[in-house]
Amino acid sequence: MGIDRRTFIQLVTGGVVGSLFTPVIWKSLDDAAIWSQNWSWIPRLKYGQITEHATISKFGPSPCSLMVKSVAGSPYVAKGNAENEMSKGGVDAISAGGAQLLYSPSRVKGPMKKVADGKYESISWDDAEKMLSEKLSAVKGQAGKLAIVSGDATGTSSEVLSAFAAGMGSKDCYLMPGDEQAAAVALENMGGSGQIGYDLDNSDFVLLVGADAMNSWGSVVRNQRVYADKRPTGGDIESVYVYAGPFLNSTAAISDKWVPVAPGTGSIFSLGLAYHMLNAGASASVADFADFKTLVMSRFTPDKVEKAIGVAPGVMAGLAKQLMSASAPLVISGSEFGQGAGAVDIIAASALNMLLGRVGEQGGMKLLADLPLAVDAAASRAELSSRDFAGYLAAVATDKVKAPEVMMAYEANPVYAMPQATTMAAAIAKVPFLVSFSTWMDETASIADLIMPNPHSFERFDDAQTPYGVGTTMLSACAPVIEPLYNGKSTVDVILSVASGLGIDLGYESVEAVLQAKAEKAGADWDSLVEGVAYVSDSTESDSLKFAASVLSKAVTMPKGGEIALAPYAKLNVGSSTMAIPPLNCVTVSKFELQGKDLFVQINGKTAKKLNASEGSTVKLSGAGGECVARVHINEGVMNDVIAAPLGFGHTAWDEFSRGKGDNIAKILTVGTEPGTGMAVWTSSFVSVA
Amino acid sequence: MQQIEFDTKWTMVVDIDKCSGCGSCMVSCQAENNIAPMEDGSNKLKTLTWMLVYELNNGKEFPERESAYLPRPCMQCGNPACVPVCPVVATTKDEEGGIVSQIYPRCIGCRYCMAACPYHARYFGWFDPIWPEGMEKALSPNTSTRPRGVVEKCNFCHSRLMDARARARAEGMDPNKLPDGWYKPACLEACPTGAISFGDSKNPEHKVHDLIKDKNAFRLLESIGMDPQVYYISRRDWVREQSDNHLPKDKH
Amino acid sequence: MDRNLFPEGVTRCGLPKFSLWMAFVAIFFLWGAYAAVVIFANGIGVTGLDNYFGFGLWITFDLAVIALGAGAFFTGFLKYILKIDQLKNIVNLAVIIGFLCYSGAMLILTMDIGQPIRAWFGYWHPNVHSMLTEVIFCITCYCVVLLIEFIPLILEQKQLNKIPFVHHFAHHLHVNMALFAGIGTFLSTFHQGSLGGMYGVMFGRPYAFRDGFFIWPWTFFLFVLSAVGTGPIFTVLVCTLIEKMTGKKLVEYKVKALMGKIAGSMLCLYMFLKIIDTWAWATGYLPSVGLTFDEMFYGNIYGKWLMWVELGLCGLVPAIMMITPSIRKNPALLYTAGILACVGVSINRYVFTVQTIAIPVMPFDTWEFYAPNWAEWTTCGMIVAYGVLVLSLCYRYLPVFPSEIKLNSKQS
Repeated sequence: MGIDRRTFIQLVTGGVVGSLFTPVIWKSLDDAAIWSQNWSWIPRLKYGQITEHATISKFGPSPCSLMVKSVAGSPYVAKGNAENEMSKGGVDAISAGGAQLLYSPSRVKGPMKKVADGKYESISWDDAEKMLSEKLSAVKGQAGKLAIVSGDATGTSSEVLSAFAAGMGSKDCYLMPGDEQAAAVALENMGGSGQIGYDLDNSDFVLLVGADAMNSWGSVVRNQRVYADKRPTGGDIESVYVYAGPFLNSTAAISDKWVPVAPGTGSIFSLGLAYHMLNAGASASVADFADFKTLVMSRFTPDKVEKAIGVAPGVMAGLAKQLMSASAPLVISGSEFGQGAGAVDIIAASALNMLLGRVGEQGGMKLLADLPLAVDAAASRAELSSRDFAGYLAAVATDKVKAPEVMMAYEANPVYAMPQATTMAAAIAKVPFLVSFSTWMDETASIADLIMPNPHSFERFDDAQTPYGVGTTMLSACAPVIEPLYNGKSTVDVILSVASGLGIDLGYESVEAVLQAKAEKAGADWDSLVEGVAYVSDSTESDSLKFAASVLSKAVTMPKGGEIALAPYAKLNVGSSTMAIPPLNCVTVSKFELQGKDLFVQINGKTAKKLNASEGSTVKLSGAGGECVARVHINEGVMNDVIAAPLGFGHTAWDEFSRGKGDNIAKILTVGTEPGTGMAVWTSSFVSVA
Repeated sequence: MQQIEFDTKWTMVVDIDKCSGCGSCMVSCQAENNIAPMEDGSNKLKTLTWMLVYELNNGKEFPERESAYLPRPCMQCGNPACVPVCPVVATTKDEEGGIVSQIYPRCIGCRYCMAACPYHARYFGWFDPIWPEGMEKALSPNTSTRPRGVVEKCNFCHSRLMDARARARAEGMDPNKLPDGWYKPACLEACPTGAISFGDSKNPEHKVHDLIKDKNAFRLLESIGMDPQVYYISRRDWVREQSDNHLPKDKH
Repeated sequence: MDRNLFPEGVTRCGLPKFSLWMAFVAIFFLWGAYAAVVIFANGIGVTGLDNYFGFGLWITFDLAVIALGAGAFFTGFLKYILKIDQLKNIVNLAVIIGFLCYSGAMLILTMDIGQPIRAWFGYWHPNVHSMLTEVIFCITCYCVVLLIEFIPLILEQKQLNKIPFVHHFAHHLHVNMALFAGIGTFLSTFHQGSLGGMYGVMFGRPYAFRDGFFIWPWTFFLFVLSAVGTGPIFTVLVCTLIEKMTGKKLVEYKVKALMGKIAGSMLCLYMFLKIIDTWAWATGYLPSVGLTFDEMFYGNIYGKWLMWVELGLCGLVPAIMMITPSIRKNPALLYTAGILACVGVSINRYVFTVQTIAIPVMPFDTWEFYAPNWAEWTTCGMIVAYGVLVLSLCYRYLPVFPSEIKLNSKQS
């Protein structure tokens, strides 16, 4: 068999052309193109009608009014609700992923009872309520046997809880720590009533002392919106912002000026400014003005202040002058991380507002009237806010107060989020019967004896009144956006049902009825509230305050110096005291805060040299009640001798998105007692570094 | 390739002085565009962040230090580096408005476009996207899910442009002359400090038309000539200086 | 045992020894194959590649082997087109190495691209403006050409060649070889250039971007020249390695020296242009976009030393060595120069791949580091092992070296 060139070429060409005429090649190529975009394990999209519903999210420390977009009834993205005055159309980094949080791996899917350490068994709601009722009926009418803690400072649900506690004969119904506590105690000492508010909207010069308004102080989202409106892109600045604090946080970054001030020394800073104002002739017609002036002129002279907090006299004088020459200045003080500040910080800042004549003025400090209570037996807001849960737990920890028989945690995760966390968790561990109403399997739920999950924010009725920090009294409410996905039940409904079984009449049958009654008593229209419009009232309390000079005199102490101070900070993208890092937020965490499982704390180069630390080196930080391990990031935006450390890491429960990532800085916060007011404070924590 | 000049030019203007780095834009972007949550979000070299917030500082020591945040979407360059290099026409700049498209079913995953883009605006699906059980029910209908192995990036929430045009048609208006504010990307809607402005910079009725002429407006890496459609504004000299490379003698 | 399969008139080691060698190499092959399975199952995320380094070891490896495999087209060009007949003694080996390099590179690419089953989109949806489209076209076509050039050699295997059809088929392929060599030269020149062009057109990457002639940036021409300057000498090095391992003389030294002279001449031309190019880039282009030469380098990993090694020790030095007759006549020195040149071209491909994308162009961006992980190393190892396996089989069973009988009988 021989072949010649012709045959050869025919063979090759014929083979190639022939195969191209069969469908095999084309069909398989076409199929390959289709397969490669339709793998069965990649989820498909669901289409359908797009709807928008208003709701309120309570994932962060301050409520946020949202418009939730749903497709065929399923929420998928949340945006701010521009019609609502409470958050003015903004959205925080947790709420932005609120729809995805409906399906968080951490959700508690139904009531459960503990059968062994870390092991839970699903039970029915009837059984769960029966179990709770039995425990409660055993302690009814006995003081000190029931403690309730609520992490919801704005909801009427906390009224229901405090009324229930009263009905049970317990005085131990508390809110989780927040700036409103220091404000309430401060106001009481200054002889005022109502709630302190700040009219940021109409101020042209805002001095933030400690208060991290863009992350943790007050109604964060609203603060951000007001800031945005006062500083239009491409336009003129209508309001100057100055931030005084130990760390160049994002509030400082977007302020016109950052004045570095040692952590927890806001009161000294404010009184140091008062010195310059008084020198310039500022005064106020208040009974204890003379005492105040004497106190400031003797103890807060520029050189003493500089020695205590590291701010040069020239800077102080310049700032005082700027404040006095502004047409609507406002001074706001608060903790750098939204909790643990003393009443004196607020009193001292209020003193500046008084010297500037800004109390009760437009764009100044306001004393807002409370909305009427919906539940008669409930504690007033001022009363509830001023109660000291940290002080209570600290007393339980040291056996100064006997541990309660039953503790109930609503929208709160005290086992993780309390200062000096290890000590406080040990105090909670002494409680024989711990009930968690948490939506999430948080640290408190995971040691609770009974878990009765509240539905997710988007699945429930809820409301929010006058969040701390806003400048007017207001009320928002919401109805469910989506039917509950799992077997949750509104905690208010649970409490109402258990209460009636125990013979306590709270006056309502359902959560919806309670919230409607609240709206009605406030004079708001329930329907428009549910549609997302906030009710706003301009009613205020009397604006006559005193300086509380005697309290200041006792409570303000000068730091010893020479120690390494801790400057914790809280960022909403990492979560809040009730929310661990949400799934979508993992990528938003800065590489200077977390790398893999390693937490990073920040110090400047000078401090690093002093501590013999360098970029990335590991340090052990010890406080009074515990220690944390972290690595170092050199950041020149931190004061000398200060360690800036992010809260919100080191979760031990929850899910893979937060568990085991970093360490919990709350463990190394040191709880002290403020002289003069007796309240627990922890903004001034010192650590030893090894 | 010759640069196409469109009649509309969707333009983003970010006011860096107002950005507090809160991360809401990044979260909202993931929700809108169906980016699966990533457990180890701290490994920035493997995460998918169509919108990424950079942390800037002035490089000075305490107490002179200043810092700023710079959100970085896709720049939708007028003269994109990524488009001409793609071997399979999986990314184009050919639609009215100037948004650089990315065609996921076409992309072969060669990553040449990623190498070409100095803004790191392009991301690769290193692994299959996995949503925690049930979370796929919260997928947005606006952006198709992508398998692993393709490049993806910000497209100014393109489906929202489609929606706005549909609305204009339904209301008897010109879909190519949308009123200001009808078309808003998810990041803008989420930004609580109003740092992001958006619109057609060729339409005098849109706010961004004037904003891009602001004396403090600038773009990133103007000197290499990519002609981005994302502008930034900052009053701070040091921030503006970090927008591009300068020889030592040209620095302040 | 398998003696009947050997080429006519040569001796080979025993089958057990050969099997042992093959088994040893197969370990590396299988290790890499395991990594490949992991990569296909789980995604490219298992490698050390990331958002900053979309290109890494794989692309560096591909570019390096394609440059080193350039011996095939250039030797073929000289042999079949320019009719330098001496080269017939080494052209078979050059073709095999070329085929192994190209097919190996394509195997790596199937892992490297995220959607390998869409690889053919390069033909179906081609972007004519993309250098990579040109690369896809030329590399796949050239790989087919290399296969066609390789097939007659396989068919000349002693037993196969006894089949008349095979014999005739092989004969006709041989007759048409000049045509294939011509096509191969055209395709190969273009894609070697396009690989350089790929980097040169990236105007967002100041380290790589170059002006050029018409649509081709200068890197286009530099990559062609650096490939033809090292490909031939790489063939010589492989040949010498086989000689050392088998203890036989396979190619006359004067052929090797000729290859060295050719490579050296091309390398000299390349270095001349490369130095001008680097100078113009550092003093002209970089300042025009606000950058300095110093800003292109960072720390040790991305230090300037790499550039001096590439251009000096592994560039100018071997180029001069290879064109200097007295040095070239010394085998040890020629091989040293060859090794240096091959290292130099590999460094060149590495810096254009990795350093290009490591440099932060936005001033607030940071230098990131890239380290290939086990999955990349072992898969590259798999390709090397594949090359060794095929080459071992070829040596044992195919008449690769026409002058082997003559050279070895003279010795004995």
